[in-house]
Amino acid sequence: MITCDEFMAELGNYFEGDVATEVRQQLESHVSHCQTCQVVYDSTRKTICIVTDSGSFDLPDAAAKPIKDKIMAKIRDTRIWSK
Amino acid sequence: MSYLREVELGATFPPFASLQERFGFVPNLFRAQTLLPRTIEAEAGIANAVLLQERALSRTCKESIMLAVAAANRNTYCAAEHHQTLRSLGVPDQQLHQIVIDHHRAGLSAPDTALLDFALKLARYPAWLSGEDINVLRGHGFNDESILEAILVTALVNFLCTLSVGLGPAPDFEPPAIQRSNKTRLPDARSYVGGTCGPYLRAVELRPQNFPPFAFFLERFGSIPNLFRAQTLRPDAIEAEAGAFRNVLIPEDILSHVQKECILLVVSAANLNTYCVAAHCEMLRAMGVSMEDSDQIAVDHHQADLSEANKALLDFALKLAVRPSEFGREDIDRLQISGFTEEHVLEAVVVTALNNFINTLQMGLGTTPDVEPRRVFGPRDVHLPPAVESLTEEAEADPDAGLVARVQDGDLDAFEELVTRHSRRVYRTLVGIVGNVEEAQDAVQDTFLKAFQHIGSFQGRSKFSTWLVTIANNTGLQRLRERRHLESLDDAGPETDEEFHPRQVRAWADDPEQLCSQAERRGLVESAVMRLPPKYRVVLVLRDIEQLSGEEAAEALGLRIPALKARLLRARLMLREALSTHFASNAKRMVS
Repeated sequence: MITCDEFMAELGNYFEGDVATEVRQQLESHVSHCQTCQVVYDSTRKTICIVTDSGSFDLPDAAAKPIKDKIMAKIRDTRIWSK
Repeated sequence: MSYLREVELGATFPPFASLQERFGFVPNLFRAQTLLPRTIEAEAGIANAVLLQERALSRTCKESIMLAVAAANRNTYCAAEHHQTLRSLGVPDQQLHQIVIDHHRAGLSAPDTALLDFALKLARYPAWLSGEDINVLRGHGFNDESILEAILVTALVNFLCTLSVGLGPAPDFEPPAIQRSNKTRLPDARSYVGGTCGPYLRAVELRPQNFPPFAFFLERFGSIPNLFRAQTLRPDAIEAEAGAFRNVLIPEDILSHVQKECILLVVSAANLNTYCVAAHCEMLRAMGVSMEDSDQIAVDHHQADLSEANKALLDFALKLAVRPSEFGREDIDRLQISGFTEEHVLEAVVVTALNNFINTLQMGLGTTPDVEPRRVFGPRDVHLPPAVESLTEEAEADPDAGLVARVQDGDLDAFEELVTRHSRRVYRTLVGIVGNVEEAQDAVQDTFLKAFQHIGSFQGRSKFSTWLVTIANNTGLQRLRERRHLESLDDAGPETDEEFHPRQVRAWADDPEQLCSQAERRGLVESAVMRLPPKYRVVLVLRDIEQLSGEEAAEALGLRIPALKARLLRARLMLREALSTHFASNAKRMVS
């Protein structure tokens, strides 16, 4: 049986689908016996879903447009000077 | 025109006559195989049974599966073929466009959407498919006949995609723009199934005495493989598959049986197909190859006792099967330099493609192995060809390549389009680094101005978007340093020196997303992310919000993959702590 520290050390690879079958089985066996790690695993998985679906840090159109205009104005300006 | 010489077979060659009659032309994919007419007969047999016969699913439904999977495989030839067919069946262009990009927005019914979800999962991540996926389809009203047909159609499109990559025929029609994102990450490791938990579908009894294909398998293998027993709802498909065995795998006039079995073995292993690996090890054993040698070929054929020519043959098949976007004419040349003729090349392509058909079919059916497997494959078990050419793949697949070329020719409007396309991504990257909305907006301008300044030297060795994120990263870092921020993103110190012990150990609600609105969740996530230290924040933003792949994020941040992974896990755990108070279930449990 692996320890909680060993479980935590492999958890990142586990989320990425990047563990060998044997390790995966050890991790799953650990989770089925250790409620703390079960909670950590489950809530981290849910965290990832929440973050992924949150639509966070979207740049609203109202902000994107003036930024683009400024960029293009500077570029066109520089072009004129460099000719 | 394709990679291989073509010969005239005449209008009386039955598959061509039938194609001509049905479609009014012979697709280039079949013309590309005229050196071995028996392979064309095998493919026509399968296509006729699976696609052209009206059985459980409508033709439109089957063609939609083929289009969506071809687009997900980024296969221009097949996408063009099925796009055109759907058009001729009356599907509007706008809907076709959405099926190519994102079928969830194509206005399809819920069952049709679920069917495409299923087909795409089977085509792209077959080893993750399980009985639950089958039950989802049953829940949408599909019976076992329909599900079997969906599996057969998905296997067929994988077959045709591999064939077209290996043969390089010109598309028969104008291909649609394939912009489908392939950023989908591997599903959760926990849900890895391995493809042998079935059989998932109902089967009926067929006997060798009155069903000739079973008599054929019995004679050939000594028993009837579970793979075929699981398809008895469709005897015509089994018959076509037996025909393919007869026409492709049994003749020995070109490649030998051992060569073909080795191709089937390495490609099945690369596809993590435990069932087929066990079957081909057994076949090789019957041909005098020891189990140990078969195991070595499956895991890494370069270390096996094979001639250099045969190693080149297996390299060829493996690249074609699992790295199709890197495959090209030079791979055909390389095989010919190793001493193989065009007929050998053609047969190797067809065997590889047929293997992808069988692997997909088996994973869809979930049949248990016929012989005790010596190895049960997991996601990390096989050595794939080195990804050294992945940069070429990215460049070829770069949707911005055309705009970049125009900018390099002095077209400012093209640059404006690039700004429109990427300002959100650049902004998110910068928020991740500088942790401040106003400053990030300011830094977006700096980033694009630098990109414009240097775009002349951009050579397409990585995707434009990755290159842009690298510039954004450097711009953000520079700002952080100017603020004399203590924490640096590029600190190369060990990642795991300080162990992170989770402190919140209350279980979360079963469905935490129901606890608050989308806007509230977004607010909670944004404020928690902003409180993370920058080096964790940026990794989390790129991977979980921007959804870059691990490789793309590592490249953009100049980090090695292990460091990136360590930071990502830490970031997720810290975020979990921050969100726990909002999403924990009411049943509180204190742990010392």
